[in-house]
Amino acid sequence: MLDHILSILIFFPALAAMLGFVVHKDSMRSYGVAVATIEFALSLWLWFAFDSTISGMQFMEQIALVPTFGINYIVGVDGISLFIIILASFFTMIGIASLGETKDVKNMIITLLFLQMTMAGVFAALDAIVFYLFWELSLVPMLYIIGAWGGPLRIYASVKFFLYTFAGSLVMLVGMLFMAYFYFQATGQWSFAILDWYRLILPESFQLWLFVAFFLGFAIKVPMFPFHTWLPYAHGQAPTIGSVILAAILLKMGTYAFIRFSLPLFPDASVYFMYPIAVLAIIMIIYTAMVAYAQKDIKQVVAYSSVSHMGVIILGTFALNVEGISGSIFLMIAHGVVSGALFFLVGVIYDRRHTKYMSEFGGLAHVMPRYATIFGLMMMASVGLPLTINFVGEFLSLLGFYKQSHVLTLLAGTAIIVGAIYMLSAYKKMFFGVITKDENRNLPDVNKRELLALIPLAIITVWLGIYPKPVLGTIDTSVEAVVSLMHEKAISKEAKSRIPNIANETDMTKNSVEEAH
Amino acid sequence: MELFLYTALFSPLVGSLFAALFGASPKTKIAGIVPSALLGVSFLSSLVLLVLVMGTGLTLHVEMMTWMATGDLYIPFGFVVDQVSVTMMIVVTLVSTVVHVYAIGYMDHDKGFNRFFSYLSAFVFSMMILVMSDNFAGLFIGWEGVGLCSWLLIGFWYHKESASWAANEAFIMNRIADLGMLIGIFLVYWNTGTLQYKEAFAVMPSLDNAILTWMGIFLFIGAMGKSAQFPLHTWLADAMEGPTPVSALIHAATMVTAGVYLVVRANPLYNLIPHVGLFIASLGAFVALFAASMALVNRDMKRVIAYSTLSQLGYMFAAAGLGAYWVALFHLMAHAFFKALLFLGAGNVMHAMHDELDPFKMGGLSKVMKGTFLMMTIASVALAGIFPLAGFFSKDLILEVAFVEHHYIIYSVLLFTAALTAFYSFRLVALIFHGEERYKLFGIHPHEAYKFMLVAMSPLLLLAIIAGAFKMSYFEMVSKLLPATEYHVHSAATYWIMTIGTQLLVILAIAYAYKKYTSRDIAVPDGTSKMENSFAYKLLINQYYIPYFYQEYIVKAYRELSEVFWTKIDQKVVDATVDGIANVFYQTGERTRVMQSGNLSTMLKWMVAGTVALLSLAVVFGLAARYSGEIRVFLSGLGV
Repeated sequence: MLDHILSILIFFPALAAMLGFVVHKDSMRSYGVAVATIEFALSLWLWFAFDSTISGMQFMEQIALVPTFGINYIVGVDGISLFIIILASFFTMIGIASLGETKDVKNMIITLLFLQMTMAGVFAALDAIVFYLFWELSLVPMLYIIGAWGGPLRIYASVKFFLYTFAGSLVMLVGMLFMAYFYFQATGQWSFAILDWYRLILPESFQLWLFVAFFLGFAIKVPMFPFHTWLPYAHGQAPTIGSVILAAILLKMGTYAFIRFSLPLFPDASVYFMYPIAVLAIIMIIYTAMVAYAQKDIKQVVAYSSVSHMGVIILGTFALNVEGISGSIFLMIAHGVVSGALFFLVGVIYDRRHTKYMSEFGGLAHVMPRYATIFGLMMMASVGLPLTINFVGEFLSLLGFYKQSHVLTLLAGTAIIVGAIYMLSAYKKMFFGVITKDENRNLPDVNKRELLALIPLAIITVWLGIYPKPVLGTIDTSVEAVVSLMHEKAISKEAKSRIPNIANETDMTKNSVEEAH
Repeated sequence: MELFLYTALFSPLVGSLFAALFGASPKTKIAGIVPSALLGVSFLSSLVLLVLVMGTGLTLHVEMMTWMATGDLYIPFGFVVDQVSVTMMIVVTLVSTVVHVYAIGYMDHDKGFNRFFSYLSAFVFSMMILVMSDNFAGLFIGWEGVGLCSWLLIGFWYHKESASWAANEAFIMNRIADLGMLIGIFLVYWNTGTLQYKEAFAVMPSLDNAILTWMGIFLFIGAMGKSAQFPLHTWLADAMEGPTPVSALIHAATMVTAGVYLVVRANPLYNLIPHVGLFIASLGAFVALFAASMALVNRDMKRVIAYSTLSQLGYMFAAAGLGAYWVALFHLMAHAFFKALLFLGAGNVMHAMHDELDPFKMGGLSKVMKGTFLMMTIASVALAGIFPLAGFFSKDLILEVAFVEHHYIIYSVLLFTAALTAFYSFRLVALIFHGEERYKLFGIHPHEAYKFMLVAMSPLLLLAIIAGAFKMSYFEMVSKLLPATEYHVHSAATYWIMTIGTQLLVILAIAYAYKKYTSRDIAVPDGTSKMENSFAYKLLINQYYIPYFYQEYIVKAYRELSEVFWTKIDQKVVDATVDGIANVFYQTGERTRVMQSGNLSTMLKWMVAGTVALLSLAVVFGLAARYSGEIRVFLSGLGV
């Protein structure tokens, strides 16, 4: 079973979703929870069975699909994708378990299970075409969630979400086809396998074009400035569960793809584009944080804060050293947990008051002390307080990029200031002061079902903040492999010097240890 | 001995969590007593460690577990007990134990009693992390942790708009400085390859001077935020919105001294860059004077004491910047005792006066509040630096340092500030405790605080009196770690003239304050007197218009810019472009659909047009292919 655990992880929820059509409406909730729990348990088993000392792919499976063109169903997992897969199944589980009063619960749960399949598929896929399939498929359940359960502008928002990301990924697909063609020209064989592509060294001019093609697809997904405007609409209209999964997992596809494709395939282009991308990331950090500060709707604040944090992730990725990339992967997990939790929290108050305008609240700390406490914890995590999960990622990302540029890191570091400004002022508007609206006087505090989602997230936030080692160590091993691959593949002098040479360093330390003896 | 270390460190955390258990339930005394007792335990453990360090000269270093490790970066949770950190541990645990016990009485009638103790103990825990960590990252944990607790405690009465505003101001302003700190940490890491103090400081002498300078500057920017140095000082006065025990513990005795601690801890770095040190000392002297001047006219009792704290922090930085680290640390310790005492006394007065803060509405309170009167007077005497109280030994020493190091400008600024200090301290004492009983106009019946609160304050009283006596033994202990420079004025005559002169100056200032503010007919400022309309008074009472400037030109500008970014740029430019592109496709479709109207003759027309277009293209390309040679020649002739 362990040999096929990834395929099981991918297709079990889809199969269960199919079966879900025949399950009775009243038992759908428990069915959904059961399936999602099994899925999560399987992903935990995957972690348990995962050997964190190996940097390469594990649990690989390969089935030929179109052998003539080298298209195969290949899946595998390494330290980079492992935790995002676990996070996805975790969010699906607590998402279904804490699903509030929703119309048409049955279809919602089926959609979520399909979505889980596409998420597991994207992060496990090691063949570009399979990756692309899952990447595009993931749009469908989300389109459906926003379009069917969303707010008043849901059709506009969902179509915008779909078309925008779809257009970007088409360009990416063209890039993939070219990549496979170059591989064919170089080796005489077609292949879409990412691991094959890793071995291909392209001239810098080719790299630049391909990098741009891939970049468009990824950047819209992340979303990077100036491609981010679909996100506020999508979040604004999506139901709570949609926003949670979108922020926690779907956005990570973009940043994950940067590490999986852009960096190891095009190391020279990554170095070439490092500064422009860093500038974009800094604009994301500062500009969207300021936009977040101007928002009147708490959900929009969290939505824009997501973009701002994604900027730090991008920056860490393009630090091109182990510290930065590990940090950015850790921050993906961290941001998933924290922003997911924040969207859950926004959902809690929306369920009670059916409004998201902060001016409608005020003084909530008096009536909902538990809610205020959990919100406060998550806010502090979002702001990046040490000993919360976000800090580790943010610190490492910035630390890594500092090696590349001092001034840009100083600018990007304002993230810790601007983040505090919009978060604290939003918190103050919602929770502090006296209660001015009568509707708020008798609001019930968080209930058990909501705590079911919030407590585990709170625990993870603190636990991984204090003891990130089990996750960070595993990530680190795989990232070192990526960085040394990049260094080996790099052609230009600039790239060689920007990307650290890990192999040499370890040799040197070995030597010095030997000398010391 | 590790047991004592862990006990000292973690008992405040246990206390905090214990009180947090009762967070949502109604007030119970136990939620205050248990954390206080645990802090007592923490204090005793620190005391054991002090005896150990002092007696044997040994230091403790433990590594609990790994925190972050990736690439070459390795950060453990490591703690060190050496001469410097043990000093801070004693100060922190002693003052916080006193404040905890005091707060059981002070917060007696508050609904948030349990919550208060949870926050307060959490603060102590963060502060212990800050001073005990053996690396910069651990320091940063404590640094942000105290920031969080400070935010929680300033905004403790969150129903008050001013309180939550002040809390946010403090947090954000500290964050600005924290960015500097963070950059400093990055610099340390990429240049020394480690964040452990010991290893990093060992590498530093071999580094380039420019890098060290930047390191020193950025770390000091971090220190400026926590220690509220100019221009990041405005939050400290506003932080007085918090409950008074918080002001005593966090905003006088411990957290605000974290910046001084950082500079002292990083002394191997600052020793290498004396020009940065001189800048620190100059800024310190400037802040000492600047803050003292604002304290002269302020009409809010707590704010006066806050400015006084700011001013004393300036003294500490002046000493540390000049390389007299042990002097800075000694003044930090003495200051913690008498300033906390002063604040707690002010808390008693506030309670007696039903939260009235304007000393002009008090007067003559010495009759009803003998104990508080005595304590606040002694604390003020100590602050003014009169022999033989604590302030004399620590503050005069800083003056001597400036003198011996030949920085006469700094010396005279600090000397002048000493006179101002004496004046504003006794202006306060005189207005509160002497003269006419103006409070009767407001129908207030003041009463003395609970006995146990006064008893709780007494250790501070004792230390404010006798702390100076430990100067030499303290020097011997701490000089094992810090540069052991004794500062002696060489000529005995100069020394005596200086000392007696300073004393006389201070006593004169006190006498003047007494004379001016105890007289029966002091003018309560009401905006009419000549002095109040003078430019200098307006400048001082408005804090040099700095808060106004920040509000108008930074806060407002930021808000307006954010608004513009959202409504103008994000919606009107970025998003409109996306929708515009989408619209182009949509409109093209709309326009061209008439082609497919189904009308046979229209469609035939389009078909013919299409055929013609395709044919002509084919002809053009065919001709181009045939005559490609000629075309090339032709084009090259055109210079293409």
